[in-house]
Amino acid sequence: MATKILSVDDSRTIRMIVGRTFKPYECQVCEAGNGEEGLAAAAREKPDLIILDVTMPVMDGVTMLSKLKEDPELKTIPVIMLTAESGRENVLQIAKLGVRDYLVKPFKEDQLIEKAGRIVPLAKRPAA
Amino acid sequence: MNDGANYQELSRRYGFAPKPESASRLTQLVARQDADLDEIAKVIDKDPSLRARLLRVANPDAENEAEYAIETVEDALMRNGMGCVLVLAMSTPLSQALVKTFQTMLSLKLESVDPRAVTPLTGEHLLCTIGFSGKVVGHVFLRMSIDAGRSIAAGIIGANAEELNDPNEIRDVAGELLNIMTGNFKSNLCDAGLECKLSPPDVRSTGDFSASASRGSSIEHMAFRSGGIQLFVDVTANPWSGD
Repeated sequence: MATKILSVDDSRTIRMIVGRTFKPYECQVCEAGNGEEGLAAAAREKPDLIILDVTMPVMDGVTMLSKLKEDPELKTIPVIMLTAESGRENVLQIAKLGVRDYLVKPFKEDQLIEKAGRIVPLAKRPAA
Repeated sequence: MNDGANYQELSRRYGFAPKPESASRLTQLVARQDADLDEIAKVIDKDPSLRARLLRVANPDAENEAEYAIETVEDALMRNGMGCVLVLAMSTPLSQALVKTFQTMLSLKLESVDPRAVTPLTGEHLLCTIGFSGKVVGHVFLRMSIDAGRSIAAGIIGANAEELNDPNEIRDVAGELLNIMTGNFKSNLCDAGLECKLSPPDVRSTGDFSASASRGSSIEHMAFRSGGIQLFVDVTANPWSGD
């Protein structure tokens, strides 16, 4: 069964890069443009991994993470933060809420694969 | 374990790149408000690139170094105050984030060049703006030609530049580039105690742009080049004018 990954980022560009990154693998990538949509998508899709931005309109990534951790159905879904912000307070707050890893933008696609591969199975798609 | 030690441990675990030391030190000094100008001058004097940039900021109308009316770090600090130190401290992580973004996401080596030595943008071009407010107030502007925007967006998306005709796609990439740059410098400011919030990026085409410093603000102009691509970055900042 394909690994299901949810990318939550207000930038279409980043969501597209995340989708492209996992294309060679047996993964299904779904998307959300802010924390509110991200929570709804997490409840609906029950992803194996969430890749989450911090600064987003409507609901930011820290609020989404905190609500995710309060939900007994969703709190065990592992989260990788993918953000340009690595300020001390943000990082400490996010780590306290509970994330599996943290990747600072700009990032290389293989860095994301390496971090995700430590958390969920990533099998290469057979060559067409 | 205290917050500082915890953060260092997390930085190691997550593999964060070290932050530019002189810029962090400068930001901390500005944030103190009562910082000694001699102490600031020592930090700047140790870094030739910061020194050169401070003198350029302090002599905005000079075409070259021979025309500088303010020639020493001390004079520049006395005449321009903390505002110019802050833009220097901010533009270092901004500039590094921009260069790293191009290297990482486009495999392009972006070279920092003297903005006075580069042909300015004329006619319709892409203007991306992010404002920041809090203990420090200001704006960051990123400008490029429409063709450069298309070429950068194509490189990041992995498309052919000639086939990329959706202006929204080009704007989203340009806005995200500025987001990445400013996210990095915001972390630097917040870590020094200058908490601030960023506005969402505003990206538009314009034929008319002029970045100027308002009363009490300082401004730094930067330019970057890689092959046929030229980027212009302007930073304005005013410490302690906000919350």
